[in-house]
Amino acid sequence: MSDKEKLFQERFKRYTVALECGKPDKVPVVFPLGEWVVKYTNTTLQEAYYNVDKSNEIIGDVIRDLDFDVMFGAINLWWPPMFDGMDCKLYKFPGIYFEENSGFQYVEEEYMKAEDYDEFIANPTQWLATKYLPRICGEFAEPGSYRATVALIKGAAAFAMHNDKLTKTGEKWAKEYGIVSATTGMTKAPFDTLGDALRGTKGILLDLRRRPDKVLAACEAIVPHNIAYAMITAAGDTSLPCFAPLHKGAYPFLSLEHWQKYYWPSWKAVIEGLWALGKRTFFFAEGDWTPYLEKIAELPDKSIVFCIDLTDAKKAKKVLGGRFCLYGGVPTTLLTYGTPEEVKDCVKRAIDELGGDGGFVLAAGGVVMSDAKRENIVAMIEAAREYGVY
Amino acid sequence: MSKEALSKAMAELEEEQVIALVKELLGSGVAPLEIVKALQEGMVEVGNRFERGDYFLSELVMAGEIMKGAMDILEPHLAGESTEHKGTIVIGTVRGDIHDLGKNIVVMLLKGAGYKVVDLGVDVPKEKFVEAVKETGAPLVGMSVLLTSCQGALKETIEALRAEGLNPKVIIGGNYVNETVKKHVGADYFATTASDGLKAAAEVFGA
Repeated sequence: MSDKEKLFQERFKRYTVALECGKPDKVPVVFPLGEWVVKYTNTTLQEAYYNVDKSNEIIGDVIRDLDFDVMFGAINLWWPPMFDGMDCKLYKFPGIYFEENSGFQYVEEEYMKAEDYDEFIANPTQWLATKYLPRICGEFAEPGSYRATVALIKGAAAFAMHNDKLTKTGEKWAKEYGIVSATTGMTKAPFDTLGDALRGTKGILLDLRRRPDKVLAACEAIVPHNIAYAMITAAGDTSLPCFAPLHKGAYPFLSLEHWQKYYWPSWKAVIEGLWALGKRTFFFAEGDWTPYLEKIAELPDKSIVFCIDLTDAKKAKKVLGGRFCLYGGVPTTLLTYGTPEEVKDCVKRAIDELGGDGGFVLAAGGVVMSDAKRENIVAMIEAAREYGVY
Repeated sequence: MSKEALSKAMAELEEEQVIALVKELLGSGVAPLEIVKALQEGMVEVGNRFERGDYFLSELVMAGEIMKGAMDILEPHLAGESTEHKGTIVIGTVRGDIHDLGKNIVVMLLKGAGYKVVDLGVDVPKEKFVEAVKETGAPLVGMSVLLTSCQGALKETIEALRAEGLNPKVIIGGNYVNETVKKHVGADYFATTASDGLKAAAEVFGA
């Protein structure tokens, strides 16, 4: 075994012991990968988004000399050619709509209409293939046509190519740098699948009053799909948790009553379904989830890693600590506007408050975007090593 | 059947009842502006309930939709009638960001509270903010931003206003803004909820 492989084993153990709520030798620390790495190079964000080899080179240069355990995030969540090949209107990428150094954005619309509910509920996959894809992709306007078939092949090929590159990059980083990936696979809460991608935020929030039964039935219909999607995108891996970016379950989208009735049951079913397969969920609670912590505590022990973004950290520790691994501690705005000294103090506080008895991973609480400063991220990682020894 | 009942139905988010009452009041000869006022009162109550934690975003979005339905009926009757307002506010989501949920909610509550709101939309370049402030003389400008990566645009836009000698108060709003961001970009207020925005407006306009 090479030194780097030994290092990988050591870090993998540190991270997974914490995920199991145990006390490793040190507090595992996470490197937040994001668009910020590009601004320290002469490469545009557009180039980094499209040219995966180039962006991997940039990342390699940044992480080479840093001592951290786990890497989370990406320069780009999606590879644009996958969408460009289908003439897909879901995302705006830098260099086409936005200037070449802007991040990508999602274009939210009611891609699924209220009258589509029954057909969707009866067979979500069929509805997506015959109704949704033609609406969001110019190249797929006429399903079954030669053009649409070619577009489907192009899109699938691009997806496979990109996933393959990511897998190989992950392997390279594990082998050459001893770095562990934070997650494998991806899933969502059914309510978010419906609200983010299909009905839109406004659409689903109005549906709660106008057609609540349809919302419930649609969320239930999505549950098996989101379990399957998690396991497929993780290629069956159960050693690491499945990434689940969560949106409309954050305060103050829904009242506790609505949350309990519409958001939680189907999401809980996905988490429990995955847990039954041995797969833990990376509960990426973007925003503030404080009012719902007691309900989240009903989940089976250790079935999630709870990520603290704007949630009250002390309360999260009190309600979830010991039974679920907590992840976070450093606010994303501090990484942008703070000084290395302030970041260091924050890391010390976070480890004291959250990490005392294990079951804690030190990380940025939310998505770190292009605004973060390199010196603050380096300070976060170094401080974690300084204060994070048990 | 009364204006009070309409305000109450609005506050309770009783969509069908609001629409029926608007039609009824119009039919019985009540001045359209009086009806708008009753709806606004209901909307103020919606804002208060949000502030108290009784209502959530889902309720605010519903309130906006009901208001829109009511205004669709009322607007043809309002032509030519001058509406009084407490003052003008220019608002928009800054350059590079296309999120509008928070902005739309605060616009709705500000209108409900009796302000004239000039909504510039999303992905608004700094030049457009400057132009709108020059045209309207608005004493308060709202800049919305969700993505932390677009917070730089807040600073640029505020600097552009100041460079033109324009000194309206500036409030920044969004899920990830705080005191640090406010100071960094040179804003006067920050808001993470629509009700914080309303409080700042009340302070600026002494309303």
